[in-house]
Amino acid sequence: MEIRVKCRCGEEECSEWAIVELQGVVETQASFQGSIQNLEIGRLCHSDSSQGTYTFTVGYHELAGSKVTLKKPLLVLKKLQFDEVSGKATELEVVGIIRTKILFKTRPKPLISGNNLSLSVLFLIGTN
Amino acid sequence: MEFDIPLPEELELLEANSHFYEEEEDDYLNFEEPPYPYPIDGDEEKEEERVAQKEPHVRQSESSDINGCKRPRSLISDPMVNLDEVSPASDKRSKIDANRVEIEDEDWLRFSPVKEVVHVMEEEEVVIPQETILSSNLVIGICRYASEIDGECVPITAPDGGERVYAKFCRALGDEEVKKLDVNDKSHGLIKDPISVLLQQSEKEAFNKVLQASSEDQNETISAEASVMHEKLWVDKYSPSSFTELLSDEQTNREVLLWLKQWDASVFGSEIRSTTEEVLSALKRHSTSSHHQKSDSAFTRKKQFNRWSKESFRYPKNADVSNTNTADNNDLWNKKSKLTGPPEQKILLLCGAPGLGKTTLAHIAAKHCGYRVVEINASDERSASAIETRILDVVQMNSVTADSRPKCLVIDEIDGALGDGKGAVDVILKMVLAERKHATGKENIENVKTSSKKERRTAPLSRPVICICNDLYAPALRPLRQIGSYICSTNGESCGKQAEMCANDRLKYICYMEGMKARSFALSALAEYTECDIRSCLNTLQFLYKKKETINVIDIGSQVVGRKDMSKSLFDIWKEIFTTRKMKRERSNDASGSGAKNFDFLHTLVSSRGDYDLIFDGIHENILQLHYHDPVMDKTISCLDCLGTSDLLHRYIMRTQQMPLYVLVNIKCTRCRTLLVEKQESLRSWHHKIPPYIGRHLSIKSFVEDSISPLLHILSPPTLRPVASHLLSDRQKDQLAGLVMLMCSYSLTYKNVKSDPVLSNLRDDAASDALVLALDPHLFDFINFKGHQFKHHVLALAMKQVLVHELHGDLDCMILQASGGRSGILNKPEIKKINQDLARKRNAAANESQRNPISSKPPLVSVGIATTSKPNSSDVKKASRTALNFFDRFRKSRKDYEDPEDVQKRATAKRDSRPLLFKFNEGFTNAVKRPVRMREFLL
Repeated sequence: MEIRVKCRCGEEECSEWAIVELQGVVETQASFQGSIQNLEIGRLCHSDSSQGTYTFTVGYHELAGSKVTLKKPLLVLKKLQFDEVSGKATELEVVGIIRTKILFKTRPKPLISGNNLSLSVLFLIGTN
Repeated sequence: MEFDIPLPEELELLEANSHFYEEEEDDYLNFEEPPYPYPIDGDEEKEEERVAQKEPHVRQSESSDINGCKRPRSLISDPMVNLDEVSPASDKRSKIDANRVEIEDEDWLRFSPVKEVVHVMEEEEVVIPQETILSSNLVIGICRYASEIDGECVPITAPDGGERVYAKFCRALGDEEVKKLDVNDKSHGLIKDPISVLLQQSEKEAFNKVLQASSEDQNETISAEASVMHEKLWVDKYSPSSFTELLSDEQTNREVLLWLKQWDASVFGSEIRSTTEEVLSALKRHSTSSHHQKSDSAFTRKKQFNRWSKESFRYPKNADVSNTNTADNNDLWNKKSKLTGPPEQKILLLCGAPGLGKTTLAHIAAKHCGYRVVEINASDERSASAIETRILDVVQMNSVTADSRPKCLVIDEIDGALGDGKGAVDVILKMVLAERKHATGKENIENVKTSSKKERRTAPLSRPVICICNDLYAPALRPLRQIGSYICSTNGESCGKQAEMCANDRLKYICYMEGMKARSFALSALAEYTECDIRSCLNTLQFLYKKKETINVIDIGSQVVGRKDMSKSLFDIWKEIFTTRKMKRERSNDASGSGAKNFDFLHTLVSSRGDYDLIFDGIHENILQLHYHDPVMDKTISCLDCLGTSDLLHRYIMRTQQMPLYVLVNIKCTRCRTLLVEKQESLRSWHHKIPPYIGRHLSIKSFVEDSISPLLHILSPPTLRPVASHLLSDRQKDQLAGLVMLMCSYSLTYKNVKSDPVLSNLRDDAASDALVLALDPHLFDFINFKGHQFKHHVLALAMKQVLVHELHGDLDCMILQASGGRSGILNKPEIKKINQDLARKRNAAANESQRNPISSKPPLVSVGIATTSKPNSSDVKKASRTALNFFDRFRKSRKDYEDPEDVQKRATAKRDSRPLLFKFNEGFTNAVKRPVRMREFLL
């Protein structure tokens, strides 16, 4: 079976993608059930000082991760199906190439804002 | 050393000659030619000549009128040659002389080596005049040549060499002379020890003398300059310098010595030996071969050992037991010694309480046996490798320096070394095991790496190793005990009175030497106090001496500067508990105060040990095997009761911290077996706050033991949140109402005692209920144990305030409902009483809280405890006043609390506003990789 892979972009211009690998699941709050569209997942930051480190903030968790080059690069393909006269023809179009991934494998750090912090301290005292 | 062993032929000759002489005594008139050809060997000639020369001398010394018996000499060898040889070889001769003499009479030699040496000297001196005599032999009457003697002459043949001289014969004296000569020959002719041994012995003797002299000198000089500030410690100064001066148990000393002696064969080899008759006969039997070192040494060893064990191994006491033991040992060793050198048990474990002189014993004994002591104080070199190299050095190498005595390894405080490295024990074990492997067979060697390594070095454990420890049953020493080390214990108690006497004498002597005035009574008290710990005795004495004080009999305890922390072994503790009972009991009869003292002593003993469970089990195990006077079984019952109590407590409360006291209570019971103990128990455990109630009210006891904890749980439900009452949910409101009802019915309330905003005290208010009647308000005290953090949820301050508020309202209602006047009247005295009670208890609590850090408790309660440590009898007023203050605060704080609550709510709202949350998956993923065909992508 012949698979034709078509790359529209030029040799150099093929856009690079990256994988964000998380150890865990990103879940939606119960109140937002069903309407995932256009929700902001989080914020991915790349610190300038050290090359390979990234921070990813999801909800009230902050993840710290690093950039890892893949052993085998991956292609991001887009499947195109044509309904021609002779029958179905399928094309895969290269959207991008993935050479690296950003791996977050450490336990997330809970983020407590200043307000919350003082509150929680108060709360502790109160319960005692 | 050609002369060390007399040649067999020679000896044979000697014997033959002696026979010959016996015959000759009868018919000495007959001139007999020497029955054997004269040896041609130059050395032998010398020897013979020497003997020949000696004989006349002997005669001369014995009887002045030796001239009477002269005999013509026959020419055997050239006189000139002989004379020439005599003079340069005189020193050699003396050696040989010594040799001979030793061989001849060993017993005499053994006991007085000095004498022997002197004798040798004598001989040497004699030889020289003898030569002059020889040169003018006609005058003396003894000639080498028969022709030189006119008249009758008697040939005299040297018993060993066959050398002949001729003496002029005197009929009147002849008979006795010959006899005497013979005797003298025997006594002077042969010495069975080689000269090296003699020299060594004489050296040792001289060394000892010098040592003694020096120590005496030291004593003198130091006592002379006692005013000088720099002094040696008395312990060092008066440490025993010879075996006989040792203060430790005689039997132990001898055992150590015996063990060390067993090494002689392997360490010193054939150097040290004393030839005996057996050797002679053996030599005769194997006369053809020249040297029979092996059989020789074997025999000597055996012989020597037997004699030694017979003669010097006398026990003044416990003779039967120890003698049989040692007899077994001897047999065993005798068997063994024929095969290999070192004794069965390669390691000597010396154990005993500190200060009894273990180290000194090891040093002295090793020195006594001719070893150079190398001490490894295991507490300074901790790493395994360091210890190993040192041990190997000592055990496997010989020094090439002047002091070439074999080394004896003394590992001090071997149990102390084991904390991290375990070095010493491991190394020794390895070596011993290597030896074993070697003995059993070589096929095993490959299996164990270490042993094979040792095997290659070929010197497994060739020197005696003495390990010194305090606690024989330390877990680290278990392997050493298992490999069958020879264990000696220097135990102060085992020798008991005797040791005390010895120690006393020594102390007296030292005091005398130092010019310190001390009464013997005081000294004995000191010795008793320190349990025969000579070291601490001496240190104390010196200290007092320096301070220009005298020993005070009464307050030795306070005078003695410091006691070592005595962590005894379990066995010692049990022994302490059970065996010393009688003595202590006698004392406690005199004064009840001493009982408390004993109790304290035991308390420190047990608590320094720490294995309460084990101690407890031991007591339980052994208590019924004790014999005591107990007709009505009262004591037994009380003892078992105590055991049961502690068991119960252990189980219910599971506070190990509390165990020592209860164990001690049992100890006390087992020991004194009086009901007084019960009182003490309650007093003692009053510390821990439960007991007064246990002691007085049974119902309370059950309450305290069983139900307090649940009750407290009920009283402070963790679900209640410190929120203003209008914020509570319906359920929480119900809960709160229920709690308030409960507290009302139990007449419990929160009440603050101090000005601090503390509301941890529960108060027993109205004495209406039968159950609550004796209930102490301070419930938390019951579960507040030393070092224990209680798991009960403690209500928040605000919550308590809420509760108090509610309670007051409710109480008022109740009081109004019920006949209000009664409880109102009852209230005030009750409060007073309770406050007094609290104050009293606070004293106890103060003691308690001083000892244990408060940090383990939740802050509020801890503050409460800490503040209660200041007993305040007048808090009734204060309490009421502060209560007012308090309520003001409460109102304020309630406002404070509302705000954070809102903030919190907002915060949760904010949290909820986040659309996506991250949920971290612990560990690994369960993802499975599987191959996917491209087709599936495409379709």
